[in-house]
Amino acid sequence: MPKAPGRAHDATDTDNPPTVTDTMPNKRPHRDTIHVENARILERAEHPGDQVILRVHAPQMAASAEPGQFAHIQCDPDLPLRRPISILRVDARAGWADFLFKVLGTGTRRLAERRVDDLLSILGPIGKPFEARMTHRRPLLIGGGVGMPPMVFLADRLREIKGAYEPFVIMGSEVPFPFEARPSQIVVPGMPEGVIAAMPLLDDWGIASRLASQQGYPGTFEGYVTDLARAWLDALDEEQRKEVAVFACGPHPMLEAVAALAREYRLPCQVSLEEFMACGVGGCAGCVVEVQTPKGPAMKRVCVDGPVFEASAVFPAA
Amino acid sequence: MVHKLQKDMLVSEFCGMRFDTPLVLLSGCVGFGEEYTRVKGFTNRDAGAVCLKGTTLEPRLGNPPHRVCETPQGMINAIGLQNPGARHVVDEILPTLDFDETRFIANISGSSIEEYAEVARIFDDSPIDAMEINISCPNVKEGGVAFGNDPDMSARVVEAVRAQTEKPLITKLSPNQTDIQENARRCIEAGTDAFAVINTLMGMAIDIEARAPIIGNNQGGLSGPAIKPVAVLKTHQVYQVCRDHGIPIIGQGGVTTADDAIEFLIAGASAVGVGTALFYDPLVCKKINDGIVAYLERHELTEVAQLVGTLVLNG
Repeated sequence: MPKAPGRAHDATDTDNPPTVTDTMPNKRPHRDTIHVENARILERAEHPGDQVILRVHAPQMAASAEPGQFAHIQCDPDLPLRRPISILRVDARAGWADFLFKVLGTGTRRLAERRVDDLLSILGPIGKPFEARMTHRRPLLIGGGVGMPPMVFLADRLREIKGAYEPFVIMGSEVPFPFEARPSQIVVPGMPEGVIAAMPLLDDWGIASRLASQQGYPGTFEGYVTDLARAWLDALDEEQRKEVAVFACGPHPMLEAVAALAREYRLPCQVSLEEFMACGVGGCAGCVVEVQTPKGPAMKRVCVDGPVFEASAVFPAA
Repeated sequence: MVHKLQKDMLVSEFCGMRFDTPLVLLSGCVGFGEEYTRVKGFTNRDAGAVCLKGTTLEPRLGNPPHRVCETPQGMINAIGLQNPGARHVVDEILPTLDFDETRFIANISGSSIEEYAEVARIFDDSPIDAMEINISCPNVKEGGVAFGNDPDMSARVVEAVRAQTEKPLITKLSPNQTDIQENARRCIEAGTDAFAVINTLMGMAIDIEARAPIIGNNQGGLSGPAIKPVAVLKTHQVYQVCRDHGIPIIGQGGVTTADDAIEFLIAGASAVGVGTALFYDPLVCKKINDGIVAYLERHELTEVAQLVGTLVLNG
């Protein structure tokens, strides 16, 4: 059986991800997993809505990065505290990594000002990645806004295992999509009339995708990503629905809605979170989120306990 | 042979402990000692000592997010002493550390004098090399800086902890107080073996769109290069008190380069803390160590101790 993407984790790690306390003396698997690289910017593309895609030469990170992981990037030497930016794609052989980000504050503004041939100090790859399992061969990937990149990365990995997975990707954005959408060549059951626009890269990979927005872009579903997800789920039969697992990254309200949908349909669901971050390696506990564990509430670090968490731990049933 | 010689130049003695380098990784920046080893090229061996995260008697969840934000030449944090409790640290975490790599120092925190004492008692019965008394945490409602800004209370905490242990005691002083020298005098009388100078300065950053503080705790501790001149002055002031007692100081606050570290040594610190700089560059310790060696060679000195307190004040 082909190897499922994502790193192997202990089956019980949902509430207690591996930490130093789980390791024995002289057996420290976390060591040397994050690289510091001075990465040259190879390509830079601007898109409407203050969105930028950077391709950098970061061979060590590219060699080991997994979907859902991020890099901690020094946006500008004058702004030395790093910013976490999720990884869009990597090519391990060519040694590059792509980042898609939106200008949101001072750090990302400075990062957007960097030019081809500039060097970026990059720390990565960091964090617990998404973990797809063969028992759920119909992954539903939902990316909203700057939450789109890890979904592209995950789709890229899923397609490596030919025919093993049948993913469906929904991208949502309230600013123009950072790609030229085009009518999909792939039929998706349950889609409302006229919802035909897809992400070309995914279509070329043979992965079904559809877009959602409130902005009335052509071919795009006018509404929430969760409404489109519901239409897709309802078109599946009972057996097919049991094969669905949800993976999501995006704004907090979107993730909350996705988690509620997954709970309603009794689907496993992993969400990727973000939070202001200082060290990025688990040292400062600056980036925590509150999660529920069997022992009660706990503050988990987004950087190394996440950024991917079980949705039910972050958004427990009311 | 030359390399070994350079390595030896960095070695010093601090409260009877051998520090392989004058650098101390600061409490709250490096978790419980293993976190930064995730980074390839980083090693605890580049530091003379590693101060573990502030530890209380019971587990603490800490403050709500956001807990950190960048400010000009620095950052504000308000973590709120999130930790799993002293028992867990001693039973579960200390056994996973490699004590061959460096000296590990516990950071003792509490809301009452009794709690400080109890945490110290638990660490006393452990392999920990030394204890730092945190009477200057600015981010908790009780204890912390509330003790540290009052020389009487500071002395009572030190006295209570001293009664629990013979291990080296380092008292971490707050810059947020009127007379740091008086506080240092009282802590020496109460039995401290050393000082860490300084903890963070209290500060606030405001989101002008929301008209609300960025930090969940509203205020937090300012660290980074912005506070370095304050830290150098406070280190020198405390050194003036400590000099005659043979009490060493870990000088800390905004160190990012070898030149910064050397400033602290000249001001009177025997060791130099590195915190926020790790967030900027996880491999910074090696660079600072190399820079210190280069400086010593340039000034024809053979060890760090020859530099400590060599400040010549202007007439």
